[in-house]
Amino acid sequence: MPHTAGIDVGTGLTKAVILSAGSNGEPPTVLARALTRTGVELEKAAARALEMARAQAGLPPDAPCYVSTTGFGRYSVSFRDLQATEITSAARGAYFLFPQASCVLDIGSQSTRAIHLRDAGRVAGFKTNDKCAAGSGSFIARAAKYLQIPLEQVGELSLQAQNPQPISSICAVLAESEIINHVSAGVSVEDILRGIHDSLADRAANLLKRVGLGSELTFVGGVARQAGMVKALETRLGLKVNVPENCEYVCALGAGLLALKRMVAAA
Amino acid sequence: MRVAAGVDVGSTQTKAILMEENARPLIMARALVDTGANVRKAAEHAFQVLCQEAGIHAHDVGFVVGTGYGRYNISFGNAQMTEISCHARGAHFVFPNTRTVIDMGGQDSKAISVGASGEVLDFVMNDKCAAGTGRFLANAAEVMGIRLDEVGPLSLQALQPVKITTVCTVFVESDILSYLAQGKKGEDILGGVHQAIAKRTVSLARRVPIEPAITLTGGVARNIGMVRALEGVLGAQLQVSPDAHFIGAIGAAIFALEKLDRSFESDIWSPEHAPHSGN
Repeated sequence: MPHTAGIDVGTGLTKAVILSAGSNGEPPTVLARALTRTGVELEKAAARALEMARAQAGLPPDAPCYVSTTGFGRYSVSFRDLQATEITSAARGAYFLFPQASCVLDIGSQSTRAIHLRDAGRVAGFKTNDKCAAGSGSFIARAAKYLQIPLEQVGELSLQAQNPQPISSICAVLAESEIINHVSAGVSVEDILRGIHDSLADRAANLLKRVGLGSELTFVGGVARQAGMVKALETRLGLKVNVPENCEYVCALGAGLLALKRMVAAA
Repeated sequence: MRVAAGVDVGSTQTKAILMEENARPLIMARALVDTGANVRKAAEHAFQVLCQEAGIHAHDVGFVVGTGYGRYNISFGNAQMTEISCHARGAHFVFPNTRTVIDMGGQDSKAISVGASGEVLDFVMNDKCAAGTGRFLANAAEVMGIRLDEVGPLSLQALQPVKITTVCTVFVESDILSYLAQGKKGEDILGGVHQAIAKRTVSLARRVPIEPAITLTGGVARNIGMVRALEGVLGAQLQVSPDAHFIGAIGAAIFALEKLDRSFESDIWSPEHAPHSGN
């Protein structure tokens, strides 16, 4: 059975997913997932992620594999067979997991994307914010660094906030002074983190409203792992927010699905 | 002899100036301390250093005007003025022909259109984002592992400045790192970084009419690479005083001197200017 791989070369992390086509009309299945820090050598990161995923799937390193790349580094991968934008990939991946959702929000380390879906996971429209770190995961990563909190704990801590303190700085760098002021005024870390999630949720909500919200949202990308952020979004938008279990792999999954479709069509 | 002081509590550094009354007021002493987390203490410390420098007692200082973002935290001040007014006035004192002030501070940048007697005609401000501030350059220096005072001179040695597409302080880090990984020279990277920030700052400044002569103030004015990059984009020369980072405090001290004279009545104590929308 031939396989396909979707590799999402993001600014922070590179993710790889290996898919197997379902037999007898069954949906495709995910055989393995792997991620690695992108660093500055994009092709090497992609090769590393693919190798890790192959090993996990129990495939030999030279097993034939149709490769589709996505993410900002998609063109840097010379062994690719196909590339797709992260918008198309996120839409496909999200639709595969939650076919009933009308829109997708993808927050990565350096950008935020709001996508409105039409039939079969195709993109009806999208808006991105990738000019600055204001709406991206790196805003939170910075804040966690200032607060000396491991990034993995941010989501849970934020959920425990009693009295969220708004962060008015849009700039991830200038927010530092504001966070320090909050800390010296005795505001709890939980309340500060939730304030950060609230302000990010505000910016994401504005983006989503511009593409058309619909009734159900699928939230993907690494930031979707943060429970406090999901809660902040649900509160702002007042609609159901689906978060896939492997939220950071959704773009890679979408790329893998596109590869599968292409491979089947070619066969 | 009557003296007055101006204290400019900036986000990064606190500057204080002591001035003596004269036909042309004289700068008697300067003090510069890091603001840190305790704004009130920083202001007190700067004032203390200032008095020590000049060898006078605090109660000999007739009037103190505070300015800068921390001006309301000055416990000993007699009045507060916006940094816009103070920069305009200070720049006019140092270079009376000033018609435009470009101020690049630790956490904001602004452009001020100045009248013939140092009054504010108009201004624009960016305090929404760190692009064009000292903070941006400090971050870039840190990523490259060099001292902040080295980035300007190094950038001047760029032969083939790299293209920097973002002015986001956070994103430029990855740009710098990937250029370093590609083996680009430090000076070429810094050349690109200065170029990007200069373009951004000039496009902000163009929103007030830029009239010559243009005076550059604020801590970033000490960065020769930024001075040259700005001049390149503007196509005009900049006036830069060795006291560039003290200009706000100088302006505040001049207002304080004027206030010494009880009969002096002016409209400078009118409510603060409402800032323009930034960015």
